[in-house]
Amino acid sequence: MAVQGLEQTILRDPALFYWIMFPITVVMILTGILRHYATVLMHSPPKPASTLAESRERLSLIRGVNLRNHACAVLDKESFEQRKSYMVAAYQSGAFLKDPANRGQPPANPMTDPAGMEAMMGMMKGNMMMMIPQTLIMSWINAFFSGFVILKLPFPLTIRFKSMLQSGVLTRDLDVRWVSSLSWYFLNLFGLQSVFGFILGSDNAASQMAQQMGAMNPAAGVNPFQPGQDPDKLYRSEAENLEVMEHFCILDGIEERILHNIASKEGF
Amino acid sequence: MVQSGREAFSTLHSSDFNATLRFSQQAPSILSQQHGSSANIFSIPTAENPEQHVAMEMLLLACLRAGDDKSAKLCLEQLSQRFGPSNEKIMGLRGLYKEATAEKMSDLEDCLREYDRILAEDPVNMPVRKRRVAILRSMSRPLDAISALVELLEAVPTDAEAWCELADLYQSQGMSSQAIFSIEEALLISPHSWNLHALAGELLYIGASSAEVDTSTCRLISRSIRLFSRSIELCENYLRGYYGLALATSFLLEKQSLLSISQNDSSFDTQSLPTLQKLNAFAIKKLHDLVKSRSSEYDEWEYSQSELIAAKGLLDRLKESAA
Repeated sequence: MAVQGLEQTILRDPALFYWIMFPITVVMILTGILRHYATVLMHSPPKPASTLAESRERLSLIRGVNLRNHACAVLDKESFEQRKSYMVAAYQSGAFLKDPANRGQPPANPMTDPAGMEAMMGMMKGNMMMMIPQTLIMSWINAFFSGFVILKLPFPLTIRFKSMLQSGVLTRDLDVRWVSSLSWYFLNLFGLQSVFGFILGSDNAASQMAQQMGAMNPAAGVNPFQPGQDPDKLYRSEAENLEVMEHFCILDGIEERILHNIASKEGF
Repeated sequence: MVQSGREAFSTLHSSDFNATLRFSQQAPSILSQQHGSSANIFSIPTAENPEQHVAMEMLLLACLRAGDDKSAKLCLEQLSQRFGPSNEKIMGLRGLYKEATAEKMSDLEDCLREYDRILAEDPVNMPVRKRRVAILRSMSRPLDAISALVELLEAVPTDAEAWCELADLYQSQGMSSQAIFSIEEALLISPHSWNLHALAGELLYIGASSAEVDTSTCRLISRSIRLFSRSIELCENYLRGYYGLALATSFLLEKQSLLSISQNDSSFDTQSLPTLQKLNAFAIKKLHDLVKSRSSEYDEWEYSQSELIAAKGLLDRLKESAA
């Protein structure tokens, strides 16, 4: 351990700042921006339903969820029961399915199903976009800049931070306040989010294009099913959810509520 | 442009023709401004604002309503330049433009054939599917329109706009229970919209007031009173809600006094008499206040002239019948 109370001094060449710390920071920011635009470029919007039956299969589930969530706000008992029995019967008989003939068969393997494959490719692309630049830059830094101590934090830290701030510098006695170049890379990697938010507009730039296309094309609905999921199973569980639902209606006693809350406020 | 976008929203949502006309008269200046900025090659491309496209669409609609077909054409061209002619929404808008500028019945039939052709290629093109319903309706073939709309809703049961249109179509055919069912579906999709609540109340009231007076109509009316109350609860100064509440409560008060002679009440779940009287008095008073305060403000008067006149008429009628 370093002697307590005695300031460790290390003479650093000021060139370390210009040739190590500054380049690492700039490279990190630039790769961040590049990755952002690459993501925008590679992003493929989710495929809308291609037939009416497919669209019905997707949205009928949402209809059931809507009924379950909002029935208490709108429906009285009679019309709720009517809708409930209709939806439950349709879910259980598979009337909403894209092709009722295939019902009960195991779902297509996502590895062979082209639609599932596409979704998996999308996820792969996203992951690759993170992995490749990070590996490259880290090996670049390891090859060129490992072992440099490049800056001193202006505040003291406990010994636990040593592994975080001094990776690549294997000296036991060095004060924790000294930061090595490899650690500077890690600090940049995790700490630049707000800088990107400042430069690229808080993540909006990535999603803006998708938003606009969504605004111009509202029918390209969401797909509640993950690839490889069996709609029939989801329907059955939704039917169960509907069946156990207790009906109450917030329209009951609304007259008193109005008179009590609003009319009394008006001084009536 | 942002400013005009906001103005455009209010234009679309009001049925006020004056505002539409005023907005459409700005079309040449807005269009030339757009053109000027795109003509300069050296200008830095700024991030485009989604609101701008919405405003352009509103401008297109306003121009068509005001009869300014030339500006409408320009708007349509700008939009299709941005999004490409094969975009679904652009196809729908182009169809709308063609329908609006059609002069003869045969033009409309051409449009319909065009829609059928597009739908045969791409059956889930919702904007075009909706235009098809609208054109059937304007060719006064409401039954075809209803069946087309039902087919659409089979596939897209979460489209509140379509359910509302279906309710309107059913109501125009005098099928009020179907209309009420449809509006309830729309309410399930957006349960906090006070205008839909009031609309559902109106449909119930119309259905009940045109039928013969018995206990079941009383139940319908009391349901409509609940819906009007709910719409007031959601939006405290909603004129239409108070209008409906005043109308429905007076109707029920009148009818109940007729009915209660023949049978004891409380056999069905309507409101109690004192509650009804209080609600009625409250609605009338509030309607009075709203009409008075809004008539004095020039802007409000401009915006909702027709509603205020109707409310005044109702107040006068109620006073007469009370006297």
